[in-house]
Amino acid sequence: MTSSKEQMNGTGRLFRAIAAAATGIALSACAASTEGQLSTVDDVNDPFEPANRVVFAFNEAVDTVVIRPVAVTYDTFVPEGIQQGITNFLRNLRTPIILANELLQGDWEGAEVAASRLFLNTTLGLGGFIDIASYAQKEYQSEDFGQTLARWGVGEGPYLVLPILGPSNPRDAVGFATDVFADPVGYAATDGFNYARAGATVVDLRQQTLEATDELKRSSIDYYATTRSLYRQYRLNQIGDGAGAEAMPDIPDFEDIPEDEGAPVIDDGSAEQGVPGSAIPVASE
Amino acid sequence: MKSLATALIWLLLVAAAPVRAADPAQAQSFIEGLGQRAVEILNEPDLDADRAVAQFRTLFRESFDIPTIGRFVLGRYWRTASREQQQEYLELFENMVVETYARRFTEYSGETFRVLGSRGEGEGDTMVQSQIVRPAGPPIQVAWRVRERNGQFRIIDVSIEGVSMAVTQRNEFGAVIQRNGGRIEPLLETLRGRITAARQG
Repeated sequence: MTSSKEQMNGTGRLFRAIAAAATGIALSACAASTEGQLSTVDDVNDPFEPANRVVFAFNEAVDTVVIRPVAVTYDTFVPEGIQQGITNFLRNLRTPIILANELLQGDWEGAEVAASRLFLNTTLGLGGFIDIASYAQKEYQSEDFGQTLARWGVGEGPYLVLPILGPSNPRDAVGFATDVFADPVGYAATDGFNYARAGATVVDLRQQTLEATDELKRSSIDYYATTRSLYRQYRLNQIGDGAGAEAMPDIPDFEDIPEDEGAPVIDDGSAEQGVPGSAIPVASE
Repeated sequence: MKSLATALIWLLLVAAAPVRAADPAQAQSFIEGLGQRAVEILNEPDLDADRAVAQFRTLFRESFDIPTIGRFVLGRYWRTASREQQQEYLELFENMVVETYARRFTEYSGETFRVLGSRGEGEGDTMVQSQIVRPAGPPIQVAWRVRERNGQFRIIDVSIEGVSMAVTQRNEFGAVIQRNGGRIEPLLETLRGRITAARQG
């Protein structure tokens, strides 16, 4: 009895410490936060780039030495069916927090899906290992408090690379800490279970992205810049629940601008003013 | 006065040209056709890797508007590049895209491709929504941005799970140029190396 209570306190302390640290970093930066959207395609919103690159390099080293090898081993030796079961189980553990965030966002449809998933998968899905709900068109959708804050109009703030946790920003860091702090599963379970869950989550997520990250690293020239761009676009898409309409860039019709008319008037998608250089010369013929 | 009127009429015509409504259904069947051609290449009996890559190179060059994507990706640095640099850049960009993606397409492992629908995007473009269904894991949402020009359809961007490849590439090239003091030459240098390496790989 006493030992389990101590464990709970221990877990609480750990989460509180993480939450406090993340909130501390975040609040100072939040004051200077900008709009929640990518204001222009070229605004990378990264005033701390030199520091971020150092942390990014550190994270890459940890990934190369520890996380990726573990994920590769897991990917190689654990049968796919069991991997899928573990993914389902971990997602089911996250569902109470997803449900809470759907409610906080006022997304009643999403909340209904999350509640059905929690009920169906915990019971018929044998504690979450089988995603029964997805057969009833109740698909998994990831929600977190960072997305909720965005829906409430909180700007992302500057891009940040957090140690171990990776790409983030003040809004998403506060969101992450809040989710961890508020998670009822974290309070109900033992310390040992919570550590195992955290470890399994890292391996599960890393395993799912093995191919994609290997490919990206091979094909990109500046992996840091690619990751930054991907993170910010991906988050925008998540916040919009995959609607994806707002993030499309303005791609001009370049072929309307003759190559030999000097400096092109429109060439970067941000300069909309001005007349295409082709109009006047054509008229003078 | 007369020449001014002519100029205005031409201006209206030129400005109106890209706004004319493209046909989303046609753009959709263009993407469906591409998917079928890709599957045909992959299903060829006695497929050898080199020939498949060669066929995908052709398919890419025909169906992507690589000059438009390339210029968009270079962004404001296009203006600062010399004529020779612009030309070399477009060639390098085309080769980079073709080498990277042609090889990736031949690493086929049981995925199926499904076109779901389409909608208008921007001024006269069409986003064709599709799904790549994998043997394991959730399907990947891929949207193809298609632009019509003189009755010809061309892809100008690919969006994977809401992430624009053109924007990602533009942000990356922008970072490389910025870190080299705004000079384009180091980017060209890197691209040359990349293409040589990809062709050997």
